[in-house]
Amino acid sequence: MTQSKVGRPWLWVAALVAVALALPLISSPFALDIFIRVLLFAFIGVAWNLMGGYAKQLSLGHAAFFGLGAYTSTILLIRFGISPWIGMLAGGVVAMLASLPIGALCFRLRGPYFAIATIATAQVLMLLFLKFRDFAWGAEGTTLPNLGDAPLMMQFDSKSAYYYVALALLALGLAITYSIEHSWMGFYLVAVGEDEDAAEAVGVDTTKIKRHIYLISAFLTALAGTFYVEYIYFIDPNTVFSFNISVEAALVSIVGGVGTLWGPVVGTVLLEATSALLQSWFGSGHGGVQLTVYSLILIGVILWRPNGLIGLFSDLYERLALSGSSRAKEAPLDG
Amino acid sequence: MLATLAQAVVNGLLIGGVYALVSIGVTLIFGVVKIVNFAQGEFLMIGMYISFFLASSFGIDPLLSLLISMPCLFAVGVLVQHFLIRRVLALGDMPQIFLTFALSLLLINLALLLFTANYRTVQTPYSELTIHIGPLYFAVAKLIAFAIAMLLSGLLWLFLHGTDLGKAMRAAAQNREVAMLMGINPDRVFCVAVGVALALAGAAGSLLMPFYPAYPLVGQIFVLMAFVAVVLGTLGNITGALIASLMMGIAESLGVQFVGADSGLIVVFVMLLLTLALRPNGLFGGWAR
Amino acid sequence: MAEALVVRNLSKRFGGLRAVQDLSFAVRDGETIALIGPNGAGKTTSFNLITGYYSPDAGSVFAFGREMVGLRPHEICSHGLARTFQVARPFGKMTVLANVMTGAFLRNRSMEVARSRARDAIEFVGLAAKEHTPARDLTTIDQRRLEMARALTTEPRLLLLDEVMAGLNHAEVDQAVALIGKLSARGLTIVIVEHVMRAIMAVARHIVVLDHGQKIAEGRPKEIITNQEVIRAYLGTGYRHEASGGDARC
Repeated sequence: MTQSKVGRPWLWVAALVAVALALPLISSPFALDIFIRVLLFAFIGVAWNLMGGYAKQLSLGHAAFFGLGAYTSTILLIRFGISPWIGMLAGGVVAMLASLPIGALCFRLRGPYFAIATIATAQVLMLLFLKFRDFAWGAEGTTLPNLGDAPLMMQFDSKSAYYYVALALLALGLAITYSIEHSWMGFYLVAVGEDEDAAEAVGVDTTKIKRHIYLISAFLTALAGTFYVEYIYFIDPNTVFSFNISVEAALVSIVGGVGTLWGPVVGTVLLEATSALLQSWFGSGHGGVQLTVYSLILIGVILWRPNGLIGLFSDLYERLALSGSSRAKEAPLDG
Repeated sequence: MLATLAQAVVNGLLIGGVYALVSIGVTLIFGVVKIVNFAQGEFLMIGMYISFFLASSFGIDPLLSLLISMPCLFAVGVLVQHFLIRRVLALGDMPQIFLTFALSLLLINLALLLFTANYRTVQTPYSELTIHIGPLYFAVAKLIAFAIAMLLSGLLWLFLHGTDLGKAMRAAAQNREVAMLMGINPDRVFCVAVGVALALAGAAGSLLMPFYPAYPLVGQIFVLMAFVAVVLGTLGNITGALIASLMMGIAESLGVQFVGADSGLIVVFVMLLLTLALRPNGLFGGWAR
Repeated sequence: MAEALVVRNLSKRFGGLRAVQDLSFAVRDGETIALIGPNGAGKTTSFNLITGYYSPDAGSVFAFGREMVGLRPHEICSHGLARTFQVARPFGKMTVLANVMTGAFLRNRSMEVARSRARDAIEFVGLAAKEHTPARDLTTIDQRRLEMARALTTEPRLLLLDEVMAGLNHAEVDQAVALIGKLSARGLTIVIVEHVMRAIMAVARHIVVLDHGQKIAEGRPKEIITNQEVIRAYLGTGYRHEASGGDARC
């Protein structure tokens, strides 16, 4: 075991937390909006990472859970006046229930088949909600009622409050990831991700593990969905079941570092920062510039550092902190 | 009623031929190189734009421009395989999927940047022409597209079964290690496979130009159809992709005719999910033929 | 003595190929036997059938009195059958210790217990010095050791070893034989698939010979190496057995 369990890393984390907590006090509403987006998408990335990063189940349909969470809480709010805090949990449960048949269908498929199937399920949900007028407002969607400052209904006057909620969600996601990583489940997930047959040979019930992690991943993603629509006061199928959300969920981990705790966070910060920079240089008017550069970056990362950029950072950290064995950093799961 | 049905089937069949070119490309790449090309639709888009510019600048008929678009896209395919795909072959599913996906994003946005989102169309003497056979109408442009698509598919079959290089590709698809032991150079074979697949997509683009508009996102729609056809027809099985594409075209057409104008997509997805649920290996099971 | 493993009329075909035909044999509790035969004889397929990776077209597999056919590999493992793969399949991203701990979690979910049991197994196979090495950086032979350690932490009663000696030099074969001997002394029932005659003669009390998916002979090692059918299977019809033993490889 390396000595890095005590000392340096905790200092960095503490510093990070302090900065994170203080940020709203020094930010403009515009900047705050960006930070909230970063926190939210980092959270979705963390949720995706559990399945896609550790267990290598490459889902490109996580928007399904995002949308289900968003619609559940919105329907409960508008039709039954139920607080979105409860709606959020209900949305999580709905997403978990949905993950069961979707998983049953998709887990039998390996590799690209699985990805294609997940894309299809999210798209089918979008199409269904586009048609449902009766209780889900169809294609036009709906705005959420503005209740002023109503913390119990997840509506706040100050943007900072939303920031802290998003921060709390991210913290939740990271805490769950951390505790899984340091338990038997984390080992089983990576085993499944590395080699399912070999995992079975040492007693890992691969189907059950995949099902369980899907439940968790779906639940967390749904929470994000509820938060998002509460934040933007609007919901429609094209927004909440958008393929872009599914892609971003996976992207931030791929760029930042799959199967690592901080990978999704690193990835989100990088991508959103790039995005913001591009927008300020080229403006959002020039259709295509932003995404062109984005995709070039993505291709670059895939060719150069397919495991994500976090490897870069941990190497850098070592050189700065002059701490112990570098091997421990590269093997995210060390006994 | 029967006439409506028959007409819908015919329409579906004809467009199915174009879907076939795209899906055969996807399945060929998967069978030989073992990766899923999420960017296949964008190469169709490139084919369309090539034909559009040749038509608007030089007055070259899109069908003739096949002779230019196909070789161009073949070359692009070789470059894509050699410089991009080759690098991620050993890395596993995730980088591979995201590479072609990123490529797709790149091409769409480059097109958006260079050509804007405007629809580009080409009018040919036969664009609006239809012929009657019995109670059925055949749009000439679509008929020609179908015929040439079938011709190209046939030529591909001949290539794969009749030439040494084609046989080498099939060998590499069935068992890469043994093929290498037999002296087959995998990189060369892969370059040809990707080149051919992209050329077919480009051909599809050129064939579409007389009756379909070109715009940056056009590939997305066709690739969706292609993917379902590829899964239905079994990944890697070319004949399967062809047959499944024709089926998809007909299913979509019937859906639009009898269920509703916006239901084409749902029919497609439902077919995909049903296939994955009931016969995940597709209707034909097996390797590239 | 009770029988640890009873294979009865096991059959499996892949398309037109009959990989395993009507295979029957038994292994007594605590015994070490060898499954031998030319390449393509169906040895690894038999392992895959026994451990649940393939489902047989016919036949049954009883381990410790329990039918194994129809169970998934992880269930079979929990009933006490562990196996290694012909080409080692470590969890490349994880360290040696983490790999082996993964096996240990089957019997006990506690991190401390798993770690301690893993360390014991790693010590046993001689990999203690490389505890924190990522598995993908190990040599092939060390990966095999890793795989054995990982299998051992699942606390098997029956261990199936698939060509663990392939490519080992003389001294390494001795080490492997010693390891197997120690496992046998602990009471483990062991089935090895092997080509290295010297090792087989050293550890196996009983040999089952396969050819083209069928059992063509079985018996004590001394009987097997003089059996004409066996010789014909390996060497073709032009040969007759002359001497025995030595470093002969089949």
